[in-house]
Amino acid sequence: MSKTQKIVWWTLGAVVVVGLVAWGVFRNSGSSNVIKIGSIEPLTGGAAVYGQPVQDTIELAVAQINAAGGINGKQVQMIYEDGKCDGTDGANAAQKLVNVDGVQAIIGGFCSGETIPAVPIAAAGKVVMLSPGASSPALTGISPYFFRDYPSDAFQATVMGNIAYNQKGWRTVAVMEEQTDYGTALTNAFSKSFEGYGGKVIVQAFPSATADLRSFLTTLKAQQPDALFIVTQTPAVSDDLFDQLIQLGWRPPLLIGDIISGDPAIIQKYSSQLEGAIGATFLPNASDTAYEAFINAYQAKYGGVPPYQNYMACVFDAVNLLAAGIKQVGYDGAALATWSRTVSNWPGASGNITIGSDGDRAGGDVPIVIHGAQVVPYVAQ
Amino acid sequence: MAYLIHLAILISIYAILGLSLNLVVGYTGLLSMAQAAFYGVGAYATALLMVNMGWNFFAAALFGMALTAVVAFIIGMVMSKFDGDYYALASLGLGVIIYSIFLNWQGLTNGPLGIPGIPRPNLFGFAFFDNLSFLLLSAFFVLLTYLASRFIVNSSFGRILKAVREDEKAIQVFGYKTLNYKLTIFVIGAMMAAFAGSLYAAYITYIDPSTFSVNGSIFIIAIIILGGLASLRGSLIGAVFLVLLPEFLRFVGFPDEIAAQMRQAVYGLLLILLMLYRPQGLVGEYKL
Amino acid sequence: MSILPQLIANSLIAAGTYALLAIGFNLIYGATKFFNLAHGVMAAVGGYTVFFLTTTFAQMNVVVAAAIGVLVAATIGWGLDRVVYRALRKRHASNMVLLVASLGAFTVIQAAIAMIFTSQFQTLSSVASEQVFQVAGASITETQIIIMLSAILVFALLWIFLKTTMFGKQVRAVSDDEEVARIAGVNTEKVLGWIFFIGSAIAGLGGILIGFDTGIQPTMGMELLLKGVIAAIVGGVGSISGAILGALLLGFAENFGIWKISGEWKDAIAFGLLILFLIFRPKGIIKS
Repeated sequence: MSKTQKIVWWTLGAVVVVGLVAWGVFRNSGSSNVIKIGSIEPLTGGAAVYGQPVQDTIELAVAQINAAGGINGKQVQMIYEDGKCDGTDGANAAQKLVNVDGVQAIIGGFCSGETIPAVPIAAAGKVVMLSPGASSPALTGISPYFFRDYPSDAFQATVMGNIAYNQKGWRTVAVMEEQTDYGTALTNAFSKSFEGYGGKVIVQAFPSATADLRSFLTTLKAQQPDALFIVTQTPAVSDDLFDQLIQLGWRPPLLIGDIISGDPAIIQKYSSQLEGAIGATFLPNASDTAYEAFINAYQAKYGGVPPYQNYMACVFDAVNLLAAGIKQVGYDGAALATWSRTVSNWPGASGNITIGSDGDRAGGDVPIVIHGAQVVPYVAQ
Repeated sequence: MAYLIHLAILISIYAILGLSLNLVVGYTGLLSMAQAAFYGVGAYATALLMVNMGWNFFAAALFGMALTAVVAFIIGMVMSKFDGDYYALASLGLGVIIYSIFLNWQGLTNGPLGIPGIPRPNLFGFAFFDNLSFLLLSAFFVLLTYLASRFIVNSSFGRILKAVREDEKAIQVFGYKTLNYKLTIFVIGAMMAAFAGSLYAAYITYIDPSTFSVNGSIFIIAIIILGGLASLRGSLIGAVFLVLLPEFLRFVGFPDEIAAQMRQAVYGLLLILLMLYRPQGLVGEYKL
Repeated sequence: MSILPQLIANSLIAAGTYALLAIGFNLIYGATKFFNLAHGVMAAVGGYTVFFLTTTFAQMNVVVAAAIGVLVAATIGWGLDRVVYRALRKRHASNMVLLVASLGAFTVIQAAIAMIFTSQFQTLSSVASEQVFQVAGASITETQIIIMLSAILVFALLWIFLKTTMFGKQVRAVSDDEEVARIAGVNTEKVLGWIFFIGSAIAGLGGILIGFDTGIQPTMGMELLLKGVIAAIVGGVGSISGAILGALLLGFAENFGIWKISGEWKDAIAFGLLILFLIFRPKGIIKS
């Protein structure tokens, strides 16, 4: 075809493309008698095993709020964005929610990886972010527009370092560290705590795509540590690790990260290996009425108890906590940011929530131990 | 509108990456799968200097380019022994090694934790804080890169590169030290990629190793193959197309889980179809 | 030192795994002279076929399911050649084109698997723990012994097959020089088709056995491919016995490397080995 025709076709194509994308992007502009709240969690990818239940829990909480008349008479509408547990996607998601959808508050991210880059974007847009699950110590005090109702991993590490050194009398702990932001942060925090007491930490680190952990374990085993701390995040890795521990016939005293202790499937499958394993996690009081009510409501709506209950309770609370804030100061990011630091002993399904000046939830993890495939509080002997 | 600006910025960054790799692959015929590694060196150098030492963006980016030049020189020397698909494999291996350094050298790069809080560029007091100004900045650098690339390919230097691509032995007979030419363009391409990394770091304000893995290199290759090898316009078109593709798919309304995989399937299918029916890409001049 | 037997065992197990991928890869390379990156995803195809069969038909015998899995992988590999590579070969497409096309095929098939089966990790074995044997101070499971035996058996059978049968001679003829073989009357396209069939079958078998050992996920193909490629090239491009040697070298280098150097550099060690060989002995240990 002639040159002119080519130019015409290309221009047409470009116009169509831009038009389509713009339309797809703009058709979301809604009315003003709803309160649009944003949310970022991993809806696809490996972390979707968490992200899906997070979305379900938020839906549950929102349905309850809307059934009771909404907030200040307005119905709540959630806009979900997929953070994929990844920095770029988290940033993209925040960009869209803040700049296109014009939300004043975001519940998310769930992973620290998708949250950290999103915070400056939200802060620039004067949007408040409440994370129900990002636990990286790097988020402490990151911005006045960020707060979280899930405790920082720094607590978990301190609790475990203390038990390991002072109560169990261990002096050398080996660590199997999966190289994710969670795994590395937790390992570093634990090393800091345990070495602070005078203990020694030997680490074997590996990327998430590793299936063959035998030589990592063999090398650690040869150094005869007093205990083994397993810090894994990906279910595939956890499964392979325990499988291979059994194969190698190694039964060291175990310390486990809170993602493992929060995974009933792994605990069930490897209950024998995990018997007596010590961890520290955020453990809601199972007999708390609010907690029970949440579990029952989830079961009624979805036909099964929620997985990762300690996280989901915080997700549930995050929605309700934010709703309480909106009721109190109105739906405005800056006002909510200021309000967030005043939260004190707010009763939630996950316990009483107090937010410190650095945005962290005060009071953190309690030591737990696995007994009979159940997570129970750890009692010092 | 703001989201379009965001997409446009991403397109600019990938356009620079596409141009940088096209010089090496399209014009010189070296199938390098390590471009994301240089992208990463630039990003990390810039991020670390800005966050830890308070350097200005432009100074940090320049340093990043210089550092990348050194790294690329060394790698280029190693790679000079290979050609064709061996070159591709060797570059793949080197890319993995550099990625491992990003991931494991925690003391320097923070490993998987990444580097958050990278400030936006600041030029004589003007902070490119809002996205529109950042877009203008990155568009300016796309233009700069495009002009520089055009200058290179139209010069006699560029003609030698194309000759190397077509028949290296022949041109060696004429006395040209092809190694020097290949090394030079490799370093130049790496430096451009490094600058793209600096832009990326300052835009997203956070970097971690996952952006700079082998998959990242494969994405850049897809851009230039789709757009067209040995065509500068092609690199720009390829960048536009591939960055907007996920937006299309999202628009078409696939369920989320399927949409992410669908995007991968479309990439793969595009590569196959292009190789079968249009190896020169959309507007390219060189068939692989 | 008591750690040695276990490290040796680990190395051998890893070598068995890599060998199963490398043998097929080298078989295909030997005949077609291009790096078929789609080879890795055949392992995933095999694994997932067995997963599908054993979860849908609870009474199905595992060995039968495995046999079907191998056949499915073989067929898809053969189909890929028939539909894509053959057309490219007719056009005398360069190796780089085939490499890029194979990359596209890899991406498409992997995405298809993820769409059908979700990205979730799955285990093939229904028992949480299987029998562990103690051999000379090292622990090995039944599956791992099968992996090692399979690698040896496949190699032996293939070697005999290639050396003694008429078809084997044709394969070697095509590997040496396709043009000449065709002139001599060999139906090269049919032979190549069978090579893809057999090579992909072996990869499928590898994927199934690995699935029983450490589970399956859609992305398992990439890691296996990369390690298989390293083993194949290091051992000797195009050589079946080279594949075994390369796998052994890689297995030992990685596992002893974990012991002596911190484990996080395992991948860098593997690729460093590749680069070393590419520089100093690009044809691999066994020059074929």
